[in-house]
Amino acid sequence: AVVSTQSTGASFSSGTRMRKLVTDKKSTEVSVMIQNTFEASILLEKFPKSQIDIFVQVLQGDGGERCVAINATTLALINSGIPMKDYVCACAATIYQDTALLDINHLEESARGPLFMLAVMPKSERIVQLQLDNRLHNDNLDKVVKQTIQGCKDIQVLLDRKIKERTVEAAAAYDIKPRV
Amino acid sequence: MASICLSTAEHKYIVESIEQDYRTDGRSCEDYRQIEVETRNLPNTNGSSRCKIGKTEVLVGVKAEVVDVDIHYPMHGKINISVDCSATASPQFAGRGSALKEEEILTVLNLLYTSIDALDLASLCIVKGESCWLLNIDVLYIQCGGNIFDAASIGLKAALHSTTMPNVTVAGEGIEMELEISDDPYHVWRLNTALCPICVTLYQVGQSFAVDVTEEEEECSTGHIHVGILSSGDVSAMEKSGAGNMDPEALLEMIDTAVKIGEEIHKQLDEHLIAEGQSATL
Repeated sequence: AVVSTQSTGASFSSGTRMRKLVTDKKSTEVSVMIQNTFEASILLEKFPKSQIDIFVQVLQGDGGERCVAINATTLALINSGIPMKDYVCACAATIYQDTALLDINHLEESARGPLFMLAVMPKSERIVQLQLDNRLHNDNLDKVVKQTIQGCKDIQVLLDRKIKERTVEAAAAYDIKPRV
Repeated sequence: MASICLSTAEHKYIVESIEQDYRTDGRSCEDYRQIEVETRNLPNTNGSSRCKIGKTEVLVGVKAEVVDVDIHYPMHGKINISVDCSATASPQFAGRGSALKEEEILTVLNLLYTSIDALDLASLCIVKGESCWLLNIDVLYIQCGGNIFDAASIGLKAALHSTTMPNVTVAGEGIEMELEISDDPYHVWRLNTALCPICVTLYQVGQSFAVDVTEEEEECSTGHIHVGILSSGDVSAMEKSGAGNMDPEALLEMIDTAVKIGEEIHKQLDEHLIAEGQSATL
């Protein structure tokens, strides 16, 4: 199968109002990033001669939009029944005075410190996507990677819990009690 | 809207059900589905709302900025409405596929707000002949499930009602004039939305008219007319679209009904917005 992605932000999603076009450079970058992430995780061979469309719409932005987009896409793919190798969870971190800070918001992003984003398949800890903006000292790399992977694992726990809740609810409508 | 494919039997069934005033979901031709409205849901904006009618869901955000006045209207502010149909609403809206639909919706919304009284644009003027507020109103469709125009108009009124405008102090004169925009979240003023219209769209299906149609019913319709109604019951705008021709007597009757429906929506919306506003300040 072929994966096609489109990611856009609403005009009111950021602090300054900007009419976001689909062909906007930033939007295209995020779209391509999401496409690459999920091409690596979806079992594409199960859907020959098909296209899987992923549409991401950012309603409100306060930092970490790329990570939330990936987490949301994972949930949407699971909801749609498309098989994947594992959950794909994403988290971003920065280093401030030798402390790693997880999940930075917009204000913290504007401090222009290193912005390290990781998308990981939590069970195997395999990295699906990695992006680093600004400078990060080599000595800090190990710490940041470890913290971010732990952050992704924490997110996987939350996503998993929600999926199981939802499955039990949906199955109850058919009088089925799934084993979760 | 994903393209709706109806069989001949389904088509006939829907048309006849509307003609007999008993639609497929049990409603009469004058009944709206459940309307959900909430405001102030987008913190990055001056005013925002979310309106959900059935499956149709619309987000409206209002952001204000200071600009130079229009030379033709030096004592009035400006509004700029833009519509965005998200690809999540329908796969046909991917890429540039939404352009036509957005144009259509934008035409109707501009029609409603074309009058300078609709939003009291004079109150948006900061310095006569110099600066004014420009309200950027962005309408975003997350889901389309029929009756998209009415949802947008309700969302617009709710968003404008919830909009908080910062106070501006003018210092100096002429070239040295400086505008100081207050940061204080409590030192704000509200817009007067008493004359904001709501759109009630009447779709002609067979020999009858229906309001708040679903996508399947829209597919069976041969034309529609948008009626802009004020809370006082006055009609502020009208536009007919679509390829069908309409019987004038039936149409006039239906417009009377639309006015009654519009007044009721205004009344319930105003009550809801006031109640929401009070609970927000508690």
